[in-house]
Amino acid sequence: MSQRDRILARLRQAQPPFASLAPIEESRPVTPRSSQGESGRVNQFIAAARELGSYVYQVDRSEAIEQIMDLLDGDQSALSWDGEQLPLAGLQETLRSLGVAIAAPDDGDARVGITGVSAALAATGSLVLESGRGRYRGASLLPDLHIALLRPDQILPDLESWREEQAQAGYTAFRDSSNTVIVTGPSKTADIGHQLVKGAHGPRELHVMIVK
Amino acid sequence: MTVELKSNDFVSLADIALRNPDLQHAVGAGTRGGYSKRAEAMFAYGADHGEFLRRKAAEAKRRALRNLPDLLEQAESNLLANGWGVEWAEDAAAANRIALDIAARHGARTVTKSKSMLTEELGLNHALEAGGMRVVETDLGEYIIQLNNETPSHIVAPVMHKTKDEIRDIFIRELDMQPTDDAEEMVAFARKMLRHDFLHADLGISGGNFLIAETGSIGLVMNEGNGRMCTSMPRVHIALVGIEKIVETVEDYATLTQVLPRSSTGQSLTVYTNILNGPKRAAEDDGPEHAYVILVDNGRSKIYDTAYAEALACIRCGACQNACPVYRSTGGHAYGWVYGGPIGAVLTPLLVGLENATPLPHASSLCGSCKQVCPVDIDLPRMLLDLRWDLVQAGESKAGWDLAMKLWSVGMTSPKRYALGGVAARAGQAVMGEYLPGPLGNWSAHRDFPNFAPKPFRELWKERAGA
Repeated sequence: MSQRDRILARLRQAQPPFASLAPIEESRPVTPRSSQGESGRVNQFIAAARELGSYVYQVDRSEAIEQIMDLLDGDQSALSWDGEQLPLAGLQETLRSLGVAIAAPDDGDARVGITGVSAALAATGSLVLESGRGRYRGASLLPDLHIALLRPDQILPDLESWREEQAQAGYTAFRDSSNTVIVTGPSKTADIGHQLVKGAHGPRELHVMIVK
Repeated sequence: MTVELKSNDFVSLADIALRNPDLQHAVGAGTRGGYSKRAEAMFAYGADHGEFLRRKAAEAKRRALRNLPDLLEQAESNLLANGWGVEWAEDAAAANRIALDIAARHGARTVTKSKSMLTEELGLNHALEAGGMRVVETDLGEYIIQLNNETPSHIVAPVMHKTKDEIRDIFIRELDMQPTDDAEEMVAFARKMLRHDFLHADLGISGGNFLIAETGSIGLVMNEGNGRMCTSMPRVHIALVGIEKIVETVEDYATLTQVLPRSSTGQSLTVYTNILNGPKRAAEDDGPEHAYVILVDNGRSKIYDTAYAEALACIRCGACQNACPVYRSTGGHAYGWVYGGPIGAVLTPLLVGLENATPLPHASSLCGSCKQVCPVDIDLPRMLLDLRWDLVQAGESKAGWDLAMKLWSVGMTSPKRYALGGVAARAGQAVMGEYLPGPLGNWSAHRDFPNFAPKPFRELWKERAGA
């Protein structure tokens, strides 16, 4: 008998616990829903994200590029998701024309990483990033500074509503992507003297641009 | 460092902790902070909603445990469909051997590891190091612990027992850090020190907070991002997951992965809520080429068949540790093994044998705080009492304890005698002052025993009823 079979056999021999467990019929999101409509969700997202220490901008295309160049602050290369994965068409070409090269996905020295998102969550100010073609994990993880670009219509109410969308799509974020990460604010730690410090191992700064 | 089993020395270990002012300061601040953040986050939308979250989380975990063998098989087939290699380990030796085999198969030399209490239980680092590998703990707290050759003292805040000054001294002594008192500079220093290993390790090892049967995914929660590094950058990833971590559906996962951080650190979600679905897909440029899950039993299937099965519902949030008056005074190391606090006082005897942890069921005032804060409503006081009963049955209780319990039961069986006990206590206190006699002196040596009320509640009640 394999270890697997012995473990399962022991569990099957046991009287299953919690036989009288009553199901919970009521369904409520963990964070109660308050916002209505797209603009309500955008406002809730912005408030929640700022509360976490993320920077949030509502920008049009040219303002976005200006802001990105500002944050690049003279850097000659940056990590980035592929152009077609970003809600800002032609961004990479524009960056190149302004003297910023796109770094290799595993470049640990790039200071800035640019990504899109597959969804955002208003209740918690979170971003959902699914790995895939042209959607590198490292771009939101390795740099000091993560710039996330999204469209306002990508903002969902909360984790529960994202889960419902995923269920209808056949849980692609749990099957087709090797990694889905829900990012809620900049990296942080409180391990030293219980003092909150941003930028433990992931990005110290998270800049979210909602592109009109 | 492998945890040495010293749970039978709880009283002397607690004594050492009580005499350590740095530890008292650090653990006091850490637990009190965690306790109030939890309360704020769980009850941010009212007490009723907070209780609803606990009920919902408790139901999800218990439903998963009720169907554990079936769900494990479902998880296995979905894990395989997602491209994971799946291994099963009955005990620590088997789990470590499997991990070593995988490491050897892929020629791994350097291992980056994210925080996992299960691997502490297994002594995995020691086994890997004995196999010639260099293992780097990458959670900041765990990194400090590893540098100082210690073990974690709290489930979510492993270095809770150390002050900032002590941590500064460890960095200076072990890594020649430029002296600084600034926590931000220390974090930046550690970030820089670990970066090379993150990018060049051959193998990343993680635990798993949740194993989603429905999709064959592992859910991890983390704030620093080190866990993303360990599971994204090396060629090979191994997740070691206890079989009790299973949840049935993504919907259950969505509940639990939000309730866990609320209960733990008071966050609505951790910075990174990480869902791992096996090795990188053909179209992906980064992520591990090979990914394995080791499903570890190590005593859990035995607990499953006892009145203590409820302990398997634990989601390791640390709330009971933050709430426990004993843990708040002693920290986690006094419990003498991997898990401290109320859940440790229950799990340790169940996992290592009651005879190896006889003081732990008594390391509680049974105040009930642990049950009250538990996000999955585990009845820890009930299990502590049942373990005491098991101790009595096994004839391992000390004569002094028997005597104390006998006196207690004599007093409790009749209101008249109970009243008499109160009179005697008040008279006795006038003689003894703030020191308790006999074995109880251990308690009052470190704190003042409160004065008995001059008039007992029974008499006040009588007066009130008469009025």
